[in-house]
Amino acid sequence: MVKQISITEENTDKAESKFRYLLKMALTVSLRKFLFLLLSITAFIVFVFYWSQTTLKPPSIITTFENSLKTRVNQDHFSIPTEKTWTYKCESDKCVRYHYLTETNGEKRVPFMTCSMTCGDVNVWPHPTRRVGVLSSSLKFSVESLQLKMSTSFHEVDRLYRKSFHVFLRELKQIQKIEFFDHAKVAENERQSFNPEDKVKPSKCVKSHCDIINFIVEVHVLKSGNVHIDLETDESYNLTSTLDNNNMVAKITANTFFGARHGLSTLQQLIWYDEEDDLLRILSRFVINDAPKFKYRGLMLDTSRNYFSVDSIKRTLAGMSYAKLNRFHWHLTDSQSFPFVSKYYPELAAYGAYSDRETYTHEDVQEVVEYAKIRGIQVIPEIDAPAHAGNGWEWGPKKGLGDLSLCINQQPWKFYCGEPPCGQLNPKNNNTYLILQKLYEELLNLTGPTDYFHLGGDEVNLECWGQYFNETDLRGLWCDFMLQVMNRLKIANKNVMPKFVGVWSSGLTSTRCLPKSQVAVQVWGGSTWTENYDLIENGFNVIISHVDAWYLDCGFGSWRQTGDAACSPYRTWQNVYKHKPWEKMRLDGMRKKQVLGGEVCLWTEQVDENGLDNRLWPRTAALGERLWTDPDDDNSLDPIPREVFIRMSVFRNRLVELGLKAEPMFPKYCQQNPGECE
Amino acid sequence: MTLFKNLSILIICLIVDSSHSKTWICSNSICLKEPISTFDHITYKSQNECRLSCGKFGALWPHPTGYTSISNDRIKFDPYMIRANIIATSYETNKFTGDINKLFQANIANECNNNCSIAKSPPVFLKLSINSNSLELNWHTNESYVLLIRGSDNNIFIDVKSETVFGARHALETLSNLITKNVEGNGLVMVGHANISDQPQFSHRGLLIDTSRHFLPVNIIKSIIIGMSISKMNVLHWHVTDSQSFPMEFPSVPMLHTFGSYSQNEIYTHKDVKHIIELAKVRGVRVIIEIDGPSHSSSGWEWGPNYGLGNLSVCINKQPWREFCIQPPCGIINPLNPNVYDVFEKVYQDLIELIPTEETTHVGGDEVFIPCWNTTEEITQIMKKRGLGLTESSFLKIWSEFHLKNFNTWSKLKTNHVPVILWSSQLTNPEFIESFLPKEKFIVQTWVESDKKLNSDLLNLGYKLIISTKNAWYLDHGFWGKTKFYNWNTVYDNEINNHELVLGGEVCMWGEYVDEHSIEQKIWPRAAAAAERLWSNPSTKSGLAEERFNRLRERLISRGIHPDAITPKWCELNEGQCK
Repeated sequence: MVKQISITEENTDKAESKFRYLLKMALTVSLRKFLFLLLSITAFIVFVFYWSQTTLKPPSIITTFENSLKTRVNQDHFSIPTEKTWTYKCESDKCVRYHYLTETNGEKRVPFMTCSMTCGDVNVWPHPTRRVGVLSSSLKFSVESLQLKMSTSFHEVDRLYRKSFHVFLRELKQIQKIEFFDHAKVAENERQSFNPEDKVKPSKCVKSHCDIINFIVEVHVLKSGNVHIDLETDESYNLTSTLDNNNMVAKITANTFFGARHGLSTLQQLIWYDEEDDLLRILSRFVINDAPKFKYRGLMLDTSRNYFSVDSIKRTLAGMSYAKLNRFHWHLTDSQSFPFVSKYYPELAAYGAYSDRETYTHEDVQEVVEYAKIRGIQVIPEIDAPAHAGNGWEWGPKKGLGDLSLCINQQPWKFYCGEPPCGQLNPKNNNTYLILQKLYEELLNLTGPTDYFHLGGDEVNLECWGQYFNETDLRGLWCDFMLQVMNRLKIANKNVMPKFVGVWSSGLTSTRCLPKSQVAVQVWGGSTWTENYDLIENGFNVIISHVDAWYLDCGFGSWRQTGDAACSPYRTWQNVYKHKPWEKMRLDGMRKKQVLGGEVCLWTEQVDENGLDNRLWPRTAALGERLWTDPDDDNSLDPIPREVFIRMSVFRNRLVELGLKAEPMFPKYCQQNPGECE
Repeated sequence: MTLFKNLSILIICLIVDSSHSKTWICSNSICLKEPISTFDHITYKSQNECRLSCGKFGALWPHPTGYTSISNDRIKFDPYMIRANIIATSYETNKFTGDINKLFQANIANECNNNCSIAKSPPVFLKLSINSNSLELNWHTNESYVLLIRGSDNNIFIDVKSETVFGARHALETLSNLITKNVEGNGLVMVGHANISDQPQFSHRGLLIDTSRHFLPVNIIKSIIIGMSISKMNVLHWHVTDSQSFPMEFPSVPMLHTFGSYSQNEIYTHKDVKHIIELAKVRGVRVIIEIDGPSHSSSGWEWGPNYGLGNLSVCINKQPWREFCIQPPCGIINPLNPNVYDVFEKVYQDLIELIPTEETTHVGGDEVFIPCWNTTEEITQIMKKRGLGLTESSFLKIWSEFHLKNFNTWSKLKTNHVPVILWSSQLTNPEFIESFLPKEKFIVQTWVESDKKLNSDLLNLGYKLIISTKNAWYLDHGFWGKTKFYNWNTVYDNEINNHELVLGGEVCMWGEYVDEHSIEQKIWPRAAAAAERLWSNPSTKSGLAEERFNRLRERLISRGIHPDAITPKWCELNEGQCK
């Protein structure tokens, strides 16, 4: 802007001197005629002046622009268009947009990302917690320069990390617009073990083009060979760079596979595509020491109310890995449908799946688990019980196993369940427990060893059971059911009880039924409900999923003709980000330790695969930073700082760049003009 | 892996087939799964087959407004066996009808299970008789039609009679609602007999898209138009420009998009626009282009001083924005700079070249934030010279002069004197609208809440209206500020004034928080609920439309649209069980 104004002033000066000259000349001419003449001459002169300016050539601007229009490349695959119209300058920690064709003197154009990454605080989401030092200059390179140098004594870690690195390379290829990849196809390759002979191609970079010719990612995993994440896992990492001539070394040091993978994820965010060079760039120097504030950083997806393809689940896992979330809580079944195809009891899916295509076979689950693992994510399947279990359980009598579930699809539903269709497992049929045990066994075999398994356990409707059983203590029946299935879980898990058994908060978790030493309660009630305090006081570990902040399904009105919208309004990414219950509850150090972490929940009454990405993103990423970084410099009433908007906006674009249909945070103008829409 | 999946699917199929093979019956307008065929009901092989004639309106969306009867018999047929006989009065209408017939046949072929061909299909004789040779699509177009199906296993006769090609198009759309896939194998299933006469209640059934806050690629706009045509919506209100960006090319003023677009990839060329208008028309949809002004004009209007034209727009990108506009970036056209009108003349020239002769334009005209003009010296000085005080009424006066000048340019170029549309604002206040905006020149698009008196007041004054009820038809609401989300029931149940001066209504998809990645789910299926309100203006509430609406949503998917879900799939499969 400054530049433009100075040019204009210069013009007016010249125009004025002409004006005086003409004034002297025109004494004899009639004033009106003269004024008209003067006006046109001035206009003409100003116009001619503009044409002769070296920086302002209207026809050529248009021609340049039109040419770039004509050469519009088909960018169908790559979602971020290049923006040759603008150049950016870093001014007081934010990037300012200038019209490139008119406001520069042939300087090289600086694309938005190159400015953003080198302007202000380090542009990484979630923000690192311990130590960050970066140089705000950048170096050019191409993806072919990258090589992995792995140094660990743990074979499994080595094997898995090579796969993670493979994913890292593929994503960078996509970022560099070399190769578009499809999440479905990636899996095919990942299932084949990584071939060490499959060396990266020699770099096309020559010295004159690239600043880095050899780019070595040197990884040290020091302490643990465990490739199954648990609540003890050390996820911290150290990421540093050294540059020697054209040789860059990015060194990642971590105690575990998971820490080292997070390091890779951060490294990926220090890299971006510069469309002017048609190359990647990386910050020229960086030192980052990072560790999460909370161990459990989850996302729950309900695949029963509506079905989600394996491909869409994988896309979700990819997004999670960029935001450093580490648990995928898979609410596999509910009373509406039973899509999991059990090997022991195929009847469950045969009766309960919406169609033969809307199912998850063992192979599907395996594929999801492997895909997640490479990205540092654990899959936690949940077969909800005893409530939320109807369709899929109706074949018992036919097979001589008795009623496995009661009140299935019973009407009027309002009397017997929270939402249609009804269905609640039969607590007095031993076959029900046996089937659950076998399901747990299958799922544990598929997901691998774990210290956390989710049993569901919420929203039991006592009226439903009351129709069948003459007990006075129906709640006792519920309690017995839960204790019984915990026992079955232990048997299914090779006679070892997982350290934490997850259950949803409910009336039962406020009684003395469940053992606090073994149970972790996923709290989904309102953040101001007393149950929050009670659970902590009673010594339970908790995972927070408060409905008023972290329920991503809310805000779409009621999906039934009767009744109000359960949990409107919509939670914006700011709501998700600002929610900090441990501070609001004033938990001291000891008590805060009982908070294992948090999870966003996507219940799917009103969303299916079509809307999955835009329900989840970028809001889930906001949770990622809340749980990883837990920034403490903001008061809950303050607006979110500009710096967070800027990083979030860049992160959202990274999601889009990698194929996730994330929702925009504001008009694109605001993304191109950081700070202008506050 | 695939083998495994197939194997398990096979196992499932075996279990299901042996234990609970089902047929469907229609009872009290609801399709029910029945384990055994019952004697007192006709049985169908699938829910979709049942739905075709279950309830008064079967699977039709929007429901017809005239005589409607649909039989319970079904005939299997091969869509490639359709023989169309077009009886039209001109070469142009004949060709146009041929094109819409091609689209229709492609659409129903999408419904086929695997293969559309079946061995023993009766021939299908489709006769389309069109009276008028007009291809004009505007508020005066007669969109009515009569559709008659008489079929047997030997042959199917389908008769369509309509005044215009657009009526015939709607008839074919209705016909596609009387057809579904054959679950037993290849080919399609059609109802044996139907007799439907139909015409819309409102002639303006619109959807607004906003390509300034975010650019929408041409293929996304195409898919939106396809979605509209499925439920017989007929106006795409294209809010092309706003302060954030100016993405449309006007060859006479290339500076507008050169300066105003987000990037060289985010532009609608003249060719793009022509293409969009054409593909819309063959789907029965008009495209009304809105170049917003005087407010909402910043990006694209900043080059005036560099080209010797002075400030075309003022307060551009001014901060703190809250003092100069309602939403950043600020920018309002300078109505006292005569060069502005030359620019508009060129824009209109280019625009008129693009659009059909009978088409009009939307001139924007809302949300002028007077403090901007009031703090701009070059404006206040001229006003003072003209003897105007800096009062609100003076500002309204110069604002209305802007619209009048542009209207004069417009009608000078356009010769056939079509009125233009503008948004309701301070200018359209019933107390003084008549002194600012003559009713024969301006149609008002109102965007107030349903409890406001504005609509009835303006109707009493004799203004024609297009209604966009703010608390029901604003599809962007629910995601920002204190706004609420309106689900499809609210959209459906929103009744608008049934008055001869009400041309119709529009649902508005403002673009601040949607882009190409999320717009389909925000528009669909909710816009289709408004489509039935505007076509049929039903006296019943959405509760009675649920089953038909679920089928409509499925139809959107089969034509490549990605609508949001509105209910667990279980509720779609079990009609009436989730009330």
